Amino acid sequence: MKEKEGFVDCPEQQMILYVEKENGQFGPMQTGSYITKNYIDDYFDKRKNLEQSLHEQIKKGEISPVKFFMVWEDLTERELAARTNIPLRKVRKHLLPHYFNNLSADILQRYAIVFNVSVKQLQQADATTKALNEESAKP
Amino acid sequence: MTTIPFNHKMGAHCESGTVTSLVNHAGLDLTEPMVFGIASGIFFGYFHKHRSFTFPTFIVRNRPGDMRKNIQKRLGVKFNTFSFSREEEGMKKLDELLLQGIPVATQVDFYYLDYVPSWERAHVNVHFMVVIGKEEDDYIISDSYFPKPERLKEESLRRGRFAGGNMAPKGFLFYTARVPEQPDLRRPILKGIEKACFNMLSLPVPFIGIKGIRLFAKRVVDWPTFARDTEHLSHEVMKINILLEDQGTGGAGFRYMYATFLQQASSLLHNPKLKELSQQLMTIGDGWREISLFAARIGKNRELGPEKLKELSTLIMDRADVEEKFFKELKKSIK
Repeated sequence: MKEKEGFVDCPEQQMILYVEKENGQFGPMQTGSYITKNYIDDYFDKRKNLEQSLHEQIKKGEISPVKFFMVWEDLTERELAARTNIPLRKVRKHLLPHYFNNLSADILQRYAIVFNVSVKQLQQADATTKALNEESAKP
Repeated sequence: MTTIPFNHKMGAHCESGTVTSLVNHAGLDLTEPMVFGIASGIFFGYFHKHRSFTFPTFIVRNRPGDMRKNIQKRLGVKFNTFSFSREEEGMKKLDELLLQGIPVATQVDFYYLDYVPSWERAHVNVHFMVVIGKEEDDYIISDSYFPKPERLKEESLRRGRFAGGNMAPKGFLFYTARVPEQPDLRRPILKGIEKACFNMLSLPVPFIGIKGIRLFAKRVVDWPTFARDTEHLSHEVMKINILLEDQGTGGAGFRYMYATFLQQASSLLHNPKLKELSQQLMTIGDGWREISLFAARIGKNRELGPEKLKELSTLIMDRADVEEKFFKELKKSIK
């Protein structure tokens, strides 16, 4: 790739791209992210729709807040079990509202740490704060 | 405690950038592409199903940690390394090293880094960065993905260093203990190329190297079966662009950075064939870039039917063919 083709004006997400300079030497140039510059709105639209769809499932009693955040943060059941140090078979139960409502403070705290939210946000499946933060930070 | 004088530089990739910064700080003048090349960083692996991934994915660099290990082994650099089972111990060791004026590389879960924009954050346990100081409750971080040093809260660093899960960091730290004075790079370069060719051509695993690229090409048409809905599929297809371009590769899934390494290696080894091959790889990289842009476009437009995925598959298969020829030639060029 030629240096002049590599430039993307996106100060919010800078990166290093290796390019062919005018003198034929290959080397680094600092530039911006193409996908962030051109498609970030699409990403946020999808996140909003995902949040809405998961909230609807919670309202219908189909999933628990743990499942909500697991999908939101793109984690597998196994990965969530390993990160919380909770057995996989228990994590699978906690994805259902019935079991979630009886969780101890310690277990809730473990999930909250992995999802980087407060226990209150976890209980309310409140990704809204996170979504709003994401939205306000967008380029 | 204050901040250690440290020449912060952006790098294409977190591990090669971190290793480069550390050895440069210790007095060894190496470029990031040279570190990447000697360490046999170039790679390909496709994972159609994996217990830690929610969707099929691929990698374009060797196993995390191998760049440091290969540089140590091939160049005679000595890194001191530590892992911890107890958080307190791990945080204390970091503070002690900083007090001695030693910049310390750490492995963290990218997700907990407050200074990373929300849309970039993901649970990835293999991010490397250099801690260069502590001011009150904040650590000062030289992260090669960012233009200037950043501040990170102690709690966030702790969570990142001691996150659980696949490839858990376990508080891993390393720092340069010794670098050789004016090392002869010729043998390490040849070793690095030889191993890279082996990884791409000969590893007897069906999802690694050229075989991995072919598998990716064949299986990408099955991706709709893994998706919750069209938007999910669109998100995952657009992630091809992120994995090849944005996730610290220097562009085109490390192909541009490896081409730069080959160009530098050509002058050091007085091997004109390597220069020719570096030019070839730049062109091969342009083909990967085309795939990135194509994936972003069809994802955005939700053109994700069988025809478009087939088109994507053909573009990927074409990369497998040209890379097979390329790596065979590269292998021959150093005999």
